[in-house]
Amino acid sequence: MTNWTRYLDRQSRPRMAVAAILLALCIGEFDYTTGTLISLSAFYLLPVSLAAWFVGTGFALFTAALCVAVWMAGNMVAGDASFASPFLIAWNGSVQFASFVVVVLVLVKLRNLNRELESRVRDRAAALTREIAERERLQHMLLEASEQEQRRIGQDLHDGLGQHLAGTAIAGQVLREKLERRQLQEASDAKKVVELIEEGVSLTRRSVKGLHPVDLTAEGLMLALEEFAATTTRLFDVNCCFICELPVLIHSAATAEHLFRIAQEGTRNAVQHGGARNIVIELNTLEEGHELRVEDDGSGIPSVPPATGGMGLRIMAHRARMIGASFRIANRAGGGTSVICQLPVAIEDRLAS
Amino acid sequence: MNKRVSKVFLVDDHPLVREWLTTLLNHLADLQVCGEASGAEKALEGMRATQPDIAIIDLALPEGSGLALIKSIKAEFPGIAVVVLSMHDERFYAERAFRAGARGYVMKGESTSSIAAAIRDVLAGNLYLSPRMHTVFAERFAEGDLASLHAPVKKLSDRELEVFRLLGQGYETRRVAQSLNVSIKTVQAYCARIKEKLQLANASELLREAIRWNDAQSAG
Repeated sequence: MTNWTRYLDRQSRPRMAVAAILLALCIGEFDYTTGTLISLSAFYLLPVSLAAWFVGTGFALFTAALCVAVWMAGNMVAGDASFASPFLIAWNGSVQFASFVVVVLVLVKLRNLNRELESRVRDRAAALTREIAERERLQHMLLEASEQEQRRIGQDLHDGLGQHLAGTAIAGQVLREKLERRQLQEASDAKKVVELIEEGVSLTRRSVKGLHPVDLTAEGLMLALEEFAATTTRLFDVNCCFICELPVLIHSAATAEHLFRIAQEGTRNAVQHGGARNIVIELNTLEEGHELRVEDDGSGIPSVPPATGGMGLRIMAHRARMIGASFRIANRAGGGTSVICQLPVAIEDRLAS
Repeated sequence: MNKRVSKVFLVDDHPLVREWLTTLLNHLADLQVCGEASGAEKALEGMRATQPDIAIIDLALPEGSGLALIKSIKAEFPGIAVVVLSMHDERFYAERAFRAGARGYVMKGESTSSIAAAIRDVLAGNLYLSPRMHTVFAERFAEGDLASLHAPVKKLSDRELEVFRLLGQGYETRRVAQSLNVSIKTVQAYCARIKEKLQLANASELLREAIRWNDAQSAG
């Protein structure tokens, strides 16, 4: 559909009806002034078509009749010889009217087909949109479920295994003290056992930290990122620092966790793929919201993305979308990569309330 | 050593921990477990009945948090000393526990052999911290963090103090800006000056300091 037909489609039906009648009268007037030698009968198709397409069958037939009447009246007033006999009047009028009727019927049929097609396209588009939304929702649920599972495992490790091991360590300590009291050499073995169990507790704690890194308080994200930067510096022989000028309180635990995972993934990419030496994780407060930045001095994003990889990037972008944040990853001017994720203030307020 | 036996009350939701802790402490001549509970409600009831000298408390309890329980104990039985024995990381929770009124913090499964020492230390009227937390607290003191509780806040200008106070009340940076009718950039400038004056390393230290100062103000 071209623009002007769309424009006409938007006009109200009474307005189109008035336009069709006025057009018919105008053509009649023009027909009258040009005289009978030049036939303008085909021009009447214009108002008839307008009425058929934009108003309806009944009104189109009325317009056709009106056009025939105007056309005949004009010719009669002009004193055309062919309008001398009433039979000729009836004959010519009927032929004209019949041809208009055919045009009206064809146009109405065509219009209905067209409308049906359009509505079908609209339905399909709506179905597609629904399907995309549903898929997004499923992806969201999948990620959420896997994270919930992680949290649950973390909780189980912390409250179940960790506590059990802690209890066992105390039991071992009891044994050690009993052996010591009897001054038996085995006391040193018992001491060793207690230390081994304590190592088990500390391993459990580390696993819990990996599964559930952000403490459930509003300042948890700041603390988690601070600790993460320190751990990264220690473990990967890089210089990773966390910059946060203003306190950033994130009240939704899920949002905080997603932001943390984005920072974690960005840092991991910088270390593993970018070969970065320096990484800066920044948490800023801007007028328009909070901003998380991960910048490094590595090799930047490869111009040709790896065929099988890129999953990390997609998940980062997905996490950002899920919390209503924007996500951008780009090469820095001086080399290296920058990952920028902005959380608009409106979304954060909605989550906080 | 002819000291009287001190009564210990255990609050932990894990039966294995309670059972062995009881055995461990009852083997010591100067300590006697007088009661135990798995939740805050039962703990307070038990303490009313047994009048212990010291309570060993886990921070993760099925009903109510351990921190809230510590505050209730301090309110109802100011004479009972509290030692926290928890799975929670001391770097994040020790300070909160001390602020709530605990006198000692031992991480479960970190230094099992020092549980008894911690209890005795606290009974003797001292604070008990792991060597690592000793270092952390001492470093903060050296950096002027703890010292800032008192005098250095006076170094702040009226406007800076207002920002500091609002942060301490849990105001979001944006709300601080809104309520003072200034831009976030301005708040950032104030925060930078506060951090410099109070010698705080970063925003989370600033926040912790502000909250602590605010707590101290409302308590005093």
